[in-house]
Amino acid sequence: MAPSDNELMEDVRDGRVEKLAILFERYQVVLYNFFLRLTAKPNVSEDLVQEVFIRILKYRAGYLGQSRFVVWMFQIARNVHIDHLRKQKAELPLDAQFEETPAQEPLPDEILESEQNAALIRKALDQLPWRKKEVLVLCRFENLKLREIAELRGCQVGTVKAQIHRALIDLGRIYLELQEGRTT
Amino acid sequence: MNCPKTRDQFADYLMGDLDEAAREDVQSHISVCPACRKEIETLSAVWTRLGVLRIEQPTEALRARFYSMLESYKDGIREESRPVERPLGTRSSRLWKAARDFTTFKRPAFAMTFSFALLIAGIGIGYFLSSGGSEQRISDLHREVQDMRQMVAVSLMSQRSASDRLKGVSWTAGLANPGEETLQALLDALDSDPNVNVRLAAVDALYLYRKNPLVRRKVTDSLSVQTSPLVQIALVDFLVGLREQRAAEALKRLVQDEKLNPEVKKRAEQGLERLI
Repeated sequence: MAPSDNELMEDVRDGRVEKLAILFERYQVVLYNFFLRLTAKPNVSEDLVQEVFIRILKYRAGYLGQSRFVVWMFQIARNVHIDHLRKQKAELPLDAQFEETPAQEPLPDEILESEQNAALIRKALDQLPWRKKEVLVLCRFENLKLREIAELRGCQVGTVKAQIHRALIDLGRIYLELQEGRTT
Repeated sequence: MNCPKTRDQFADYLMGDLDEAAREDVQSHISVCPACRKEIETLSAVWTRLGVLRIEQPTEALRARFYSMLESYKDGIREESRPVERPLGTRSSRLWKAARDFTTFKRPAFAMTFSFALLIAGIGIGYFLSSGGSEQRISDLHREVQDMRQMVAVSLMSQRSASDRLKGVSWTAGLANPGEETLQALLDALDSDPNVNVRLAAVDALYLYRKNPLVRRKVTDSLSVQTSPLVQIALVDFLVGLREQRAAEALKRLVQDEKLNPEVKKRAEQGLERLI
């Protein structure tokens, strides 16, 4: 039977760092999509995935294995993203920070409807503040339980539920606004 | 159940985390409360819409960068474990400098067309040549590329997806001296991989290492556990190529199996004629 994530990470912690390769192969796509949904930038997302694995090596001695490996990994991924946002803010000139993302070209009619919906929901997600975006990505795509999301965000389960609720309402509103803007 | 309690369950409801009873409670409330019904309909619609987002694949360059980083980290550990006196405070910075050097490596625009091995070899050769190459260094580099190749192969072979495992098996081709772990991974794939294509690929990959006694013995033993005629035929050909007594005995045992596929039987008998 294939070793579990936790067993592999315990091996990495105990010095068999080559086992990280198995975890990389298991999670590179997951992490890449996590960052892609948060940043909408493929190049940046790959850089951030790499940074997560560097930090896993850096902090491997502190891995306790008390919760699922993915929770610990997403905790690191979350910090990597927050650091990226800070760095980005520091690097950008003030006016650029408030600059709107350029509106995409109108979608040609021949593109399938599902493609259009995907483009629209992606755009709506982009406009959501990052904390709301993050909680949605974690619960909708990463198969984390509510208590695991609460653990990695350092808050109560009830708070996470309320955050998901509000994020969905806001996303729905932005989506409708974009849709109306497209049809008018 | 009242409105606040029901709404508190909406996140669990959408994520499918409610047990049967709790789910029924939510459903019975929304069937009588129009406001809550409207709310859950709105939330569900957005939740479902998010499902249209596809899973995207990163480029091969990400894998290349990861394995480069891991190799340099391992080198850092090896170097640190050497009993050499070094001023305090430089240890972790050296280790991290080595690893972080690779994070600043930017992939070229045409990186997708690069094969992974070429990329790794390129990075390595660049590094070695710039620091004054010698035969020893070239051979070190060769060894490192081989080590890295093995690491990629073994980790791919332990993946859940059959196409990844297949990729892992093909990564072992071209290894001059595969390590024990790599050979064992190939032998395990041959004996127990649920996918026929992976098992077949493992037979081909192991043929390259047929001079290794462990490979000869394990592949011979494997004939009795295979059930797919395709794999059996591939193994018969493999064993005929070994030209040894033990292989002939395994083939004799195989042809005695009454349930054996006629095509396999024919192939095994032809093989036996060549061996005896």
